[in-house]
Amino acid sequence: MQPDPSRERPDHNIAMWGAPGSGKTTLLAALFIALTKSDDDWKIIGSDPASSDYLIEKTNALLRGKLFPEANMTMERYHWTLLGPALRKPGFWSRKAKPGPPARIGIGMTDAPGGWYGPAGGPSALDGSGDPRLQKLLDNLERSRGIVFLYDPIREFTLGDAFDHMHAPLTRLAERMLAAGEFTDGKLPHHIAVCVTKFDDPRVLETAEKRRLLTVDIDDPYRLPRVTSEDARELFHELCQVSASGTADMVLKALDQFFHPDRIRFFATSSIGFYVDRRTKRFDWDDFQNMVPGEADEDSRIRGQLHPINVVEPMLWLGQRLAAIRPTVVS
Amino acid sequence: MPEPDRDLSRKAIAQALADLADTDRLTLVEIAADGVTTFLLHRDDNGRPRGRSWSATWPGLAGERGWGTHPAETREAVLRMARAASSTADVMLVAASSADPQVEQALAWLRAAHPAAQVLRAEAPIAALIREVIADDPLTRSYELIVVLVDSDTSRPRLTSRQLFPLGSRPGARTRVALRCEAAGAHGTAFAVVTWQGPKPRLLSVQSAPVAPGRYEVTAELVRPGRVRFTGLPALSPDPRGWDQLVAALPDRLAGGSGPAHLVCAVEVCGADDQVAERLSRARQMISSASGELGGLLRVSLLAYAAHSYDPSAPEFPVRIAAWEAGAGEALNALGALEERGAVARGYPYHPHAAQLEDMLAVVVERLGRADPAPAVILTVGGLPPHPARTDQSRILPCPHRHDWRKLLAALRQRQGTVLGAICDQPADQAHQVWHRIGAAALAHLEAVDVRGLAADLGLVASSPVHLPFPLLDETE
Repeated sequence: MQPDPSRERPDHNIAMWGAPGSGKTTLLAALFIALTKSDDDWKIIGSDPASSDYLIEKTNALLRGKLFPEANMTMERYHWTLLGPALRKPGFWSRKAKPGPPARIGIGMTDAPGGWYGPAGGPSALDGSGDPRLQKLLDNLERSRGIVFLYDPIREFTLGDAFDHMHAPLTRLAERMLAAGEFTDGKLPHHIAVCVTKFDDPRVLETAEKRRLLTVDIDDPYRLPRVTSEDARELFHELCQVSASGTADMVLKALDQFFHPDRIRFFATSSIGFYVDRRTKRFDWDDFQNMVPGEADEDSRIRGQLHPINVVEPMLWLGQRLAAIRPTVVS
Repeated sequence: MPEPDRDLSRKAIAQALADLADTDRLTLVEIAADGVTTFLLHRDDNGRPRGRSWSATWPGLAGERGWGTHPAETREAVLRMARAASSTADVMLVAASSADPQVEQALAWLRAAHPAAQVLRAEAPIAALIREVIADDPLTRSYELIVVLVDSDTSRPRLTSRQLFPLGSRPGARTRVALRCEAAGAHGTAFAVVTWQGPKPRLLSVQSAPVAPGRYEVTAELVRPGRVRFTGLPALSPDPRGWDQLVAALPDRLAGGSGPAHLVCAVEVCGADDQVAERLSRARQMISSASGELGGLLRVSLLAYAAHSYDPSAPEFPVRIAAWEAGAGEALNALGALEERGAVARGYPYHPHAAQLEDMLAVVVERLGRADPAPAVILTVGGLPPHPARTDQSRILPCPHRHDWRKLLAALRQRQGTVLGAICDQPADQAHQVWHRIGAAALAHLEAVDVRGLAADLGLVASSPVHLPFPLLDETE
């Protein structure tokens, strides 16, 4: 009897990190849908029944109910495994390669506490070190070697708190990694996929269009606009200019300070993608919003079919990069 | 030889009356078996025949001594009775045909005194005959109704007259005239009939009644000279005002609301029930208010629009044309049906932050484009902004029909005589900027609308009540 690969300890972990409401749960549900639609042999599986149920529930909410899935308050206890294709090992006695175990990458999700949190707001806790959420995030980040960092440009435009959510955890993480001797090249050892979310929002798309950053995949039957990873950093930089607090550019600087350039990649991401009319089956510049806003006491809904954009790609990039390095021993 | 025939007498008197000039008098002296009666006929300032008479018996003329005692004195008494002003005055002598010596003697004296007088013979007293002749006298002047004309450029009213009966008209003649009545104040609208003698009209009759504003098809009937009866109006009664007083009541200028008006009411019927009810209530008030002052001159169109559906499985409620260029009553009935139905298109997948305002504008532009370019007041009652024609930074989903509210609004603003007003859920300083354009001429807050003031701002009614003492000639006739 073969062991259940999802029950085995993953080779690496990926931490999904973002401010509350930045779209982590939606991204996870969209990831499941996108992987199912994808030709790649990657899949996401719950690490335990509760995590599987959570994934099923959120995916159904997105697909059937057309609702944006709400995050569970205790989502830190859910874990999933990204299972890649089986690695083929070269045969020792013969030239025929043998199938090896599939790549296993654990996925954990944690809200990033914002501001200077502390149990009572006292001086000793001004850096947030006493906040249990920060501790959980740090634990998650410390045992991960891949990070999916969600940057919500619309939230930044209205609230401008991205740097608040990033600063304390990053500083604390660096402190821990330095103590553990993991700061070898002067940078954190993590690979980080910076996902600029809400790419489907007109303000984000328009910014990309104005900067001439949009491309269309010629194989895409819907002709959906995209921003390549090479250009996504420029989009990120451009969007930082409209931060409500004016501190968004410090996010970019902090990323450059703490992560090696080879280990940073930017993605312009949309979990729900653009609206595509069922009849025309083509992206329409005049009508592409895929979200129907709700009444004051209601949530927004998904308007049409989901067309996730750059949801799989960050995971695959992290998966491929992590698979190429020695499995972590951190548990 | 005198003609005893009554018809001949009638014709002779009628001819004499017809020949009577404005300044002349006609004297008819009836010499009957019981005495002498003199009738003095003339025409008044309006050419209408008027008459008076006086009588004396033979004993009264002869005195206590009796007929024949003092013939000279009796003769003088008979001639005084005739009271003919001069020998040049027209005199007709009408004598009884019986061979009464007193009659014959008196006739002889009168014929001698008025040798040019026409002599008629009549059996019965001629008083009734004279009344008949007067009543059947053809008009010697045209009868005209005083009406108001409004200069379309200056809005200044001016008086003129519309002919009712030409010269020669006889009693029983009828004529129809289309009139418009405005609010007329306490005395009501005056229907003044005049004749013209020189540059100034001469008032013949004034009757008035509180007439509801509106268009009227009035029939005027010439009952008799000097008497015109109007039908197609509320009951008229004599007006105590004189000509100068009536003319003084004419305003210098009409500030609006004096002409036919087309009110297009478009109401947003999505949202909370009480909000929708309030909007419909305001539309009702506006229609009722304008109708109260304009009456039948007001045409009303009523449209209802809601929210777009963004899910093919949920029905779209298209813009509903509840009434188009209907009377106020019909429009209010249609409004009642909307009130009964209440709010529609609520919740998912209907867009909560915008409404089909652009679809409504498209309908109005198309409908108004079909008709003659008559003035129209477009009053929109709602609160949500329209959908953009295409995705923009408002994040409001685009109109499924790609209607462009900016272009549609521009088309309406360029249309001659089109006025845009709005009653918005929010006060002006909080209303979406679109509402300032939809209510370009006047923007009111739903919760505090001075309905009449808004109607005045939109030019539907006069800003302060302007009373027109006379009817307007309906130029659409």
